[in-house]
Amino acid sequence: MSVRFVLRAGERGYSYLPSVGPNASYVAGHPDGVITRHSSFNFHEYQSGIPGLGVMKVFGDETFTPGGTGYNMHPHHNFIIMAFVVGGALTHINTIGKVDELREDDYYVFSAGAGGKHSELNIGEQDLHVVYVWVVPGQLLAPPSYRRNRFDRAAGANRITCLVGDEQGALPIGQTFKVSRLLSDADCTHVYRPAKQNGVYAFALEGDVEIADAILTRRDSLALEGEDKVEIKVRTDGTDMLLVETKL
Amino acid sequence: MKKYLCLGCGFSYDEALGLPEHGIAPGTRWADIPDDWVCPDCGTPKSGFDMVEIPYWSEATS
Repeated sequence: MSVRFVLRAGERGYSYLPSVGPNASYVAGHPDGVITRHSSFNFHEYQSGIPGLGVMKVFGDETFTPGGTGYNMHPHHNFIIMAFVVGGALTHINTIGKVDELREDDYYVFSAGAGGKHSELNIGEQDLHVVYVWVVPGQLLAPPSYRRNRFDRAAGANRITCLVGDEQGALPIGQTFKVSRLLSDADCTHVYRPAKQNGVYAFALEGDVEIADAILTRRDSLALEGEDKVEIKVRTDGTDMLLVETKL
Repeated sequence: MKKYLCLGCGFSYDEALGLPEHGIAPGTRWADIPDDWVCPDCGTPKSGFDMVEIPYWSEATS
């Protein structure tokens, strides 16, 4: 058993992006609009901290205030960008021609490939909470694509559900990479079985779990390597977790 | 000849291809691009690029 790192909620990178000032063209919204971003890895900070895990370079826990706050149209290439909506509603517009609205438990996989732009907005009346994951692709300049799916809360209760990866009902991205969700209100132990050479990043959206002798509470995370079995002991408050598996 | 990926937006630079539309000739080594050069798409500094060894989709599928 090998823990690569434990990252507490408060140790993550923090960006405060108001819609006025230097970000005015990048961040949409009325003058009080703001995006806050807690970054597990070095998003736009490149010099220190944790550079990512395997092909995952970004794990961003973001909040957009209501009333039109978000990212204006901006370009991407290559990265496979995923958004998991944790609360509120995300309006997504992209140059593949898609205008989409994603609500709690919806998620998308946008492969920017040869080039695309997108805009991410909260046009609702409550805060938008969304987790962004960026993955380095297996091939450069692939045709861009956009797909969406939904985590089924009833079917997914008290089990580990694969959202992204080569499993039935999930969105595959053509390489050794998975995102799963564990939503559990029961005081019991779940087992995740990664392929032995892969790394696992476990992020607690909510609740309280024990993994590899570490207790994770809200927005804590850890990374493991060299495991073929990860035991997740759900403690009294239950948990809502994202589990990322990546080749290292 | 190597390729580099912008960690800010995913823009890729290929030494073999250069960026003629941005004044960088084909064959220009990464080391020969000025340190104050930034990503033409998103403004991320040169230091925010990672070297990658990833084939092009067109190569992988042909």
